[in-house]
Amino acid sequence: MAAKQHKAVGDDLWKARTEKINAELFTLTYGALVVQLIQDYEDYAEVNKQLEKMGYNIGTRLIEDFIARSNTGRCNDFREVGEVIAKVGFKAFLNITPTVTHSSLPTNPLVGTSSAAGLIGSVGSSFTLTLDENPLAEIVELPDEALEGELWFSNVLCGVLRGALEMVQMQVEAVFISDVLRGDDTTEIRVKLVKYLEEEVPVGDD
Amino acid sequence: MSGSGIYGPSTTSSSLVTPALTLLAQDNPSQIDSVALDFLLIELVQILQASSRHATARLRAKEEEMISAGLLPPPLPVPPNKDGVSKEQEEEEEALRLRLEDIGAAVGGALAERLSKDKARFQDTLDAIKFICKDLWSAAWDKQVDNLRTNHRGVYVVQDNAFKPLLRLSSPAGTADALKQSKLYVAIPTGIIRGALGRLGFNASVAPEVMALPQCTFQIKLPKGQ
Repeated sequence: MAAKQHKAVGDDLWKARTEKINAELFTLTYGALVVQLIQDYEDYAEVNKQLEKMGYNIGTRLIEDFIARSNTGRCNDFREVGEVIAKVGFKAFLNITPTVTHSSLPTNPLVGTSSAAGLIGSVGSSFTLTLDENPLAEIVELPDEALEGELWFSNVLCGVLRGALEMVQMQVEAVFISDVLRGDDTTEIRVKLVKYLEEEVPVGDD
Repeated sequence: MSGSGIYGPSTTSSSLVTPALTLLAQDNPSQIDSVALDFLLIELVQILQASSRHATARLRAKEEEMISAGLLPPPLPVPPNKDGVSKEQEEEEEALRLRLEDIGAAVGGALAERLSKDKARFQDTLDAIKFICKDLWSAAWDKQVDNLRTNHRGVYVVQDNAFKPLLRLSSPAGTADALKQSKLYVAIPTGIIRGALGRLGFNASVAPEVMALPQCTFQIKLPKGQ
């Protein structure tokens, strides 16, 4: 699917088929949750981990909803995965369209081949999502402590990506590279393809 | 631009932007898909269960330290209650419920602040309750309350016959189990109401009750003299 078509699908999904609510309920709830987690764990690395875990659980359910509503077929390669996530996925759920920058490695014939029909792409390639807006963090300012403690406030998004993609046979690493909440210039998530999961289930083997 | 229009004689276009228009322009809340919030509310319970267990365990470890150092007397053993629920389990459930309510309170306070920013301070408890029943309910749950009763002595009972957080709640284990679970799902709303009233200056206690899904009532007690 061409990039323009992805955008059209995303826009259509947002306009016609979603039940829309004010983002503030979401923003406020998420923000209060992060505060509570910080109080309970007293450890920013652990909070990051818990947010990611929660995101993973959400992602595994979200993908079904997404596939059911969007009628997107299988993506041809990891590049297309990035396009669909940015233009259709984020648009349909959060009404934002992050910019996607691809970085693929040259194809290695020994690695990353998959029996799944049509899925060609190198293990190790990645894309970066740059979020100009982030509904999760609209009214948040991080205290210095959190900044030094390396809290990734919106880490749930990384989990959602990991969970959703795992359900469609891709194991990825999704991490924040920068966040305007931490004083960086941009808010970026990098998603790297670790492996396709189908190859990991050899039938009849130990 | 010259001449007199509805805004009076003027030679600039800036006078076309009235305060009312500015307010409208400012109030352009961004929107998201309701599914995103639904999923968040579901998974949030799990994650808070884990975090509250962690926090409780940490507290207990400290208590143990103090007990073995002789600073605290050892606790008396408490038998499980009539449902076979141990004291620990009860405490865990309570810890989770409190956390959910606190999250609700943060949300409710912020909502109340935004919704009432252009109104004068509520003098009357009845006005505040009406605000809850109409403005807050619409902002949080897309409708207004169905029924409001009061004993005119500071107790208000608010009833919603199709309470949004309960609409899709069902349990494979049957109605009794669903009712039990509903306690968790009304914890955040309870907090929202309490937090909203708190931000408006009213120190209320709020008690939820679910007799039959998806109906929910909240008993709101406002202390005298407010």
